[in-house]
Amino acid sequence: MPSHRMPSEADVISTVEFNHTGELLATGDKGGRVVIFQREPESKNTPHSQGEYDVYSTFQSHEPEFDYLKSLEIEEKINKIKWLPQQNAAHSLLSTNDKTIKLWKITERDKRPEGYNLKDEEGKLKDLSTVTSLQVPVLKPMDLMVEVSPRRIFANGHTYHINSISVNSDCETYMSADDLRINLWHLAITDRSFNIVDIKPANMEDLTEVITASEFHPHHCNLFVYSSSKGSLRLCDMRAAALCDKHSKLFEEPEDPSNRSFFSEIISSVSDVKFSHSGRYMLTRDYLTVKVWDLNMEARPIETYQVHDYLRSKLCSLYESDCIFDKFECAWNGSDSVIMTGAYNNFFRMFDRNTKRDVTLEASRESSKPRAVLKPRRVCVGGKRRRDDISVDSLDFTKKILHTAWHPAENIIAIAATNNLYIFQDKVNSDMH
Amino acid sequence: MEFKLEAHRIVSISLGKIYNSRVQRGGIKLHKNLLVSLVLRSARQVYLSDPCPGLYLAGPTGIPTVPPPQQPGEPVAGPPSGWGEPPPPSARAALPEPEPQPQRPSVCHTPGAGSSEPVAAVAGAGDALRGGEADSAAAAWGRVERPRAVASGGGSDTCPEGPRAVRRPCGCPPAREEQPAEDGSPAPPAPCPRKRGAAGVGGGRAGCPAAPGSTPLKKPRRNSEEQPSTGEEDTDEEMETGNVANLISIFGSSFSGLLRKSPAVGREGEEAEESGPEAAEPGQICCDKPVLRDMSPWSTAIVAF
Repeated sequence: MPSHRMPSEADVISTVEFNHTGELLATGDKGGRVVIFQREPESKNTPHSQGEYDVYSTFQSHEPEFDYLKSLEIEEKINKIKWLPQQNAAHSLLSTNDKTIKLWKITERDKRPEGYNLKDEEGKLKDLSTVTSLQVPVLKPMDLMVEVSPRRIFANGHTYHINSISVNSDCETYMSADDLRINLWHLAITDRSFNIVDIKPANMEDLTEVITASEFHPHHCNLFVYSSSKGSLRLCDMRAAALCDKHSKLFEEPEDPSNRSFFSEIISSVSDVKFSHSGRYMLTRDYLTVKVWDLNMEARPIETYQVHDYLRSKLCSLYESDCIFDKFECAWNGSDSVIMTGAYNNFFRMFDRNTKRDVTLEASRESSKPRAVLKPRRVCVGGKRRRDDISVDSLDFTKKILHTAWHPAENIIAIAATNNLYIFQDKVNSDMH
Repeated sequence: MEFKLEAHRIVSISLGKIYNSRVQRGGIKLHKNLLVSLVLRSARQVYLSDPCPGLYLAGPTGIPTVPPPQQPGEPVAGPPSGWGEPPPPSARAALPEPEPQPQRPSVCHTPGAGSSEPVAAVAGAGDALRGGEADSAAAAWGRVERPRAVASGGGSDTCPEGPRAVRRPCGCPPAREEQPAEDGSPAPPAPCPRKRGAAGVGGGRAGCPAAPGSTPLKKPRRNSEEQPSTGEEDTDEEMETGNVANLISIFGSSFSGLLRKSPAVGREGEEAEESGPEAAEPGQICCDKPVLRDMSPWSTAIVAF
């Protein structure tokens, strides 16, 4: 998505999410805007544009606010978007900033009524003396109009910054998580929510960890997981108790003492957690690795993949530049066989769980020409250097890919690189294998 | 020694981040500040647990303290002394936990959520700092004291942990051991953490119960901002410390009480005063400062502000 305006901070994409069919792709940005793309249906007339995504709707979801009581500005940045399962002709999504979640309904209008008795075409009242007969208004086709309206606003539920939202498989409830608490909402009720997790200590000085991400299980509406800044995952069962402070399962890997440094705690903080489509596994991302966990094994992940281990010796300068606090997301493909996550220099990585092969690709203008094939990249860490290798020291740390999404069924991925959105399709292998 | 330098550098970077987080849009990010405070604590522990008396006597260059007033090493010693020094335990009880902000009226009933959280905890954190860290800091002081006792006995290496090669440059050559004994000043800097220029001229000096002999050592600290230009050998370290000193100077004289090591009564009285208005400050209530107990009162000052 080329941005024709001068790139500004507000255009930086902050979240990317496909809907359940993959027909729609929503992005949120730091300026509080949501842009929805729709996949063009493949047609014989335009074979070249089959399956491409075009802008479907753009709207301002959140505005900056000021909390007068606390003298705090509330950023309008969209932290997360989650689609609701489609239940009628309209599409619905939840979008959230740091404090407020909104339910948006997206509808299409492609017909309008014509032939009113009392009004003319512009809507002005007719002179009744000119009306000689009655007619029944008819619906006539019109240019497609996409209308977006806020249907619910879920406010005042969070004291701390909201980091995740997740819609339950029951399609009636959803949860929102901030640094210390998780609330359960009903989609139709905005004036109250239930607090289901609260890790705020009685004395804030005793605080040692915060909640970093959370998600409902894709099939079991009573189960959800949340990750912490200490690198642990907690699976909770809402049937067990009203307040799920006590976890059903705790997933934690013991720290490797040989890797201990000043920054061990920071790099073990989990920045994203995603259930697999099957519901059997969880994927977590911390600063240097992605890990696959089996719900049946709490002691350690079953797979660990190094995203950019060459950064381990540079943690101090990454701390100085604040890069070490970057929160990368991770994604499963539709068949749970490949996992993907972003890195620096506009690189993103994919790991094939079956073949154990991995690839580094770059999201750049050169690589995104139509039908261009993405060339695998390599970061060299000393030793032999091949022609197109990039050295660690020449990586651009301002070009970070934090947000990625994978189409639920096909090999189509959406990559957010700062203020640009790249959509890559694997035409050769368009179906999952 | 490199560990200490890196630790010191990391501490100053961390404090800068905490300071900057105050002015960030959207309020203080609890997660990031928690991580920064964990790094701060680790760095501080490394700094304190590295018992190299040379650090308190001389800078990394190994110059002993027959102190000319411009002793580049000395200012380096200043900060850790301040951080390591546990405030008098009696101060712990003196600071009341700041009262949380009144519950914000809200149409949203969120059981258990507690809609308006206090930023609070500044003075309260000072509490925890005192209590919690007293033991480890005292232990650190024990290690520092020992070498000098050994040195005054004469003859052996000042550095108790001789095999650590990194300590060599820090001023523990056997030949120098008389100097430390004469000087006797490493301990005095401890009770009198560095006084920043901005800390209030009168208050700083007056409140310091240090031995008279240590007073000259304070001068380089106060002039640390000017020192880099003198081109002392320790320029890099000087710049780092100067940077941190600038942070403090920004806060102005209102924190004089916090920066002065005064007798228990005076200090807690002062701090309670300072922290009262700070605790009531409505800003940055979005999160509390979780790990303040691991920072010295000096660092607490930054956070309070």
